[in-house]
Amino acid sequence: MFANIDLTFWVGAFLTVAIFSFLYKDNPVYKLAEHLFVGISAAYWMSVGIWTTLVPNLLCRLCPGWVNSLAGSDCLCPPASHVSGYERWIYLVPLVLGILLLMRLSPKGGWIGRWSLAFIVGITAGLNLLRYMQSDFMAQVQATMITLLPGWQGFGHFFGNLSLSLDSPLVATFSAWVVFFGTFCGLVYFFFSKEHKGWFGGASRFGIWVLMVTFGAGFGYTVMARISLLVGRFRYLFGDLIDMMNS
Amino acid sequence: MFWERLLRLDRRWIFLFVAVSVLLPLLFNLECHQVPTPIVRGIFDKLESLPPGSHVLLSFDYGPSTVPEISPMAHAVIRHCLERDLKVVFMALWATGQNLLTSTVDSVVKLEFPHKVNGTDYANFGYKAGNQGVINVIATDFYKMFTTDISGMPARTMPLMEDVENMSDMSLIISFGGGFPGIKEWVQFAGDVAHVPVAGGCTAVSAPLLYPYYPQQLIGLMGGIKGAAEYEAMLTHTYPKFDPLPKRGMLAMGPQTVAHLVIMFFIVVGNLAYFLSRSHKAKA
Amino acid sequence: MKRWIMLGVCLLSALPLWAQEPPAADTAAAQVAAAPQAAPATAVTAADAPNDNGHSLVVTFVPSADDREGGPVIGYEVYRSVDGGEWDMRGTVPASGPAGDATLRYRDAGSKDEASQDYFPIGQAYQYRVRTLSVGGFVDSEPSAPMGSTAEWFHFGKLELFLALVIFTGLMIIFIGRAKKGAELYIRPLAGIDAVDEAIGRATEMGRPILYVLGLGVASDIATIAAFTVLQRVAKKVAEYNTKIIVPCYDPIVMSVAQETVKAGFMDAGRPDMYREDDVYFVTQSQFAYVAAVNGTMLRERPATNFYLGLFYAESLILAETGSLAGSIQISGTDQVTQIPFFVVACDYTLIGEELYAASAYLGREPLLMGTLKAQDWAKGAFAVALLIGLVATLAGWSSIAGWFHLDL
Repeated sequence: MFANIDLTFWVGAFLTVAIFSFLYKDNPVYKLAEHLFVGISAAYWMSVGIWTTLVPNLLCRLCPGWVNSLAGSDCLCPPASHVSGYERWIYLVPLVLGILLLMRLSPKGGWIGRWSLAFIVGITAGLNLLRYMQSDFMAQVQATMITLLPGWQGFGHFFGNLSLSLDSPLVATFSAWVVFFGTFCGLVYFFFSKEHKGWFGGASRFGIWVLMVTFGAGFGYTVMARISLLVGRFRYLFGDLIDMMNS
Repeated sequence: MFWERLLRLDRRWIFLFVAVSVLLPLLFNLECHQVPTPIVRGIFDKLESLPPGSHVLLSFDYGPSTVPEISPMAHAVIRHCLERDLKVVFMALWATGQNLLTSTVDSVVKLEFPHKVNGTDYANFGYKAGNQGVINVIATDFYKMFTTDISGMPARTMPLMEDVENMSDMSLIISFGGGFPGIKEWVQFAGDVAHVPVAGGCTAVSAPLLYPYYPQQLIGLMGGIKGAAEYEAMLTHTYPKFDPLPKRGMLAMGPQTVAHLVIMFFIVVGNLAYFLSRSHKAKA
Repeated sequence: MKRWIMLGVCLLSALPLWAQEPPAADTAAAQVAAAPQAAPATAVTAADAPNDNGHSLVVTFVPSADDREGGPVIGYEVYRSVDGGEWDMRGTVPASGPAGDATLRYRDAGSKDEASQDYFPIGQAYQYRVRTLSVGGFVDSEPSAPMGSTAEWFHFGKLELFLALVIFTGLMIIFIGRAKKGAELYIRPLAGIDAVDEAIGRATEMGRPILYVLGLGVASDIATIAAFTVLQRVAKKVAEYNTKIIVPCYDPIVMSVAQETVKAGFMDAGRPDMYREDDVYFVTQSQFAYVAAVNGTMLRERPATNFYLGLFYAESLILAETGSLAGSIQISGTDQVTQIPFFVVACDYTLIGEELYAASAYLGREPLLMGTLKAQDWAKGAFAVALLIGLVATLAGWSSIAGWFHLDL
């Protein structure tokens, strides 16, 4: 009658209900589930960090033979992943930087970790600077240079095809105007070097209205996301019952 | 006064209403007709236009917490790719993505497409740490990051990767993203640099942040469970053989719709209660 | 007589054989043999591929004179040789057909990895020839002159990006320099910041503490750094008004920086003796356990004012809602776009995105913050001007203007 019922399912179901019990009132069962989650996730991420980052990206580059001898086979460090020459010894650099970063745990030696942090911050800034300038600035400027009258074929065609369908000229024109003036006025709102008065203040006000509509849409999307996760949880808990009722 | 009592309504009643509004449509299998939107259709049409044998990269960049939203779209896209005889390269930028990827390959690829050969028609390269750094490297040299797949098969000698040196040899990149790193990083480091078309399937929370990239930098975007439902609808309409299979996205639309209506009702009633009680106090 | 009749019958019976269609293969071969040979491609030229790392060449050629819509040309194959040796096929180019292109091009790219089978050495001289495939067979062109590839130091396709970076960096340096020299750089008033003093005064009147939440970021996150600046200002005011401030922290490093910041604020106000280290404390690095602890603090201590400034995730609404239930005035600010809607709904004042950075520059008046904010404003101004120019250009049909922002990678 009830297929796929096993211990892992019952444990998962119990923990799900335990977390949901918080909606009624805070209670020890919820606290138990929460502490289990915190503890297991910490251990899981430590394990994932060791086996997916430290071992293949560092130890298998520096000393693959030693790692394989510990494992008893070359499954951890396959021969195809071995590197030699300077490509091997250059991995001493991240090893040293990683050890320096761990010095942050020491009250006296914490300052040493700043070197590693500087390396991380510098790399991230360098990688991101170009990409954000290209993808989030230049490409967006070009994408916003749109015509305010897309597909214009005269007033007759425009008023002859008035509809709210997504490919109608009315909706396309409205969208173009909102995209352009919304972007422009949103920029005006975030301009801090001039007081928002007169026409500037008017544009700023339109900009914040567009922003609020965006935030409302974001809020609605988030509600949809949370409900869909709830649907997923209910499907997990009542899956067999649902299948039974619909069969 | 009634409106003031309504404002002080215990929130647990609202939780109960929402729970019932989700559970009942699930139990009674309430379905809603899906009309695909252009932003989702862009991905479907692109996959339809690719000739058989084209390479498609699917990146699993999400974790278990977003499985109900993203897994349905991932399954639908994989079915579409394999049905069109496209060469699928699987990878993950999230550590938790690797387990989800492996279970998806086991449950979808191996079960529903047993004639597809690992290493020839698809390959699972698993997770690589490094976030956007990984994308930056494979944009110029795929094998610098991925020397083998997760089973240890050398990447260079795989028939699947015969004509592949880097991202530019991919016909399409689709990222199933739950956050960072995700679709945004694929657009910035692969799409805009290597000029490879990029599409995405994301959580509904992330969708508004990615709309500015559509349509120039993203050819399409599946936002949340709604996006998954639309893709499933197009897939089953074009390939009816997939109709009997579970369509988690479309099945979720019934409960989703009812829950949204209930929430909208509470919003309207709550605002009415707020304004009416304020005006009542002002008069008093 | 009988022999002549038999011969005649044999000849007559053989007639159908003569009238039969030959087998299809023979017909096809005959047709092929009879089909005219397409003219070869001409003017095959190899040149260095621009803006690359030196591991590719570009081959251009004039298509066959018979390459037209409905013509016999099927396509082209590009072959490569070293020093006139064996010719290897490198790729194919479709026929120009209806497009009727004057020249066709093919990019021959290889790997920079010496171990790769497709290794393309920089400077190696290659010759190319183009094979025209047609219904009648194929014909090869004359080989091109030998050409080797070179690597370029500068990618001219990214020139616009380089100029944008130079201009933005220059603006930052100029404005930071001016700020350091004491120039007055104007920043417009922000509603949330004006409310800070009012909120602190309210807490003093009610005799209740102020709660300052720095979010879930680490000390290197920009939003957290901006929140530290506001914290110092708030701490100074709190010291002047003799009010209690509570700062529960998510990250140990953030806690140590917050302690220094609050202490500095109290010293600025001339009340270092009032500083209590226990009021700035570490809670936990578990997201929802942290939220549970802060909620508990809100419900017990009943702060008059809550500040939520920094990096927040899914816990933002839980925090703001609990604070609202406790009856606190709430001022929030974050650059997480997904959390701003929740703060807007549940808080009295919200600093949206960049307003948080502007607030920290406004309150801290540090040259680095002021200079970068001004440079960003100028960049936004340039963006807005570009949009307007693009609008006019699009209306006038000058599509090349938009092309200036397209990077030729």
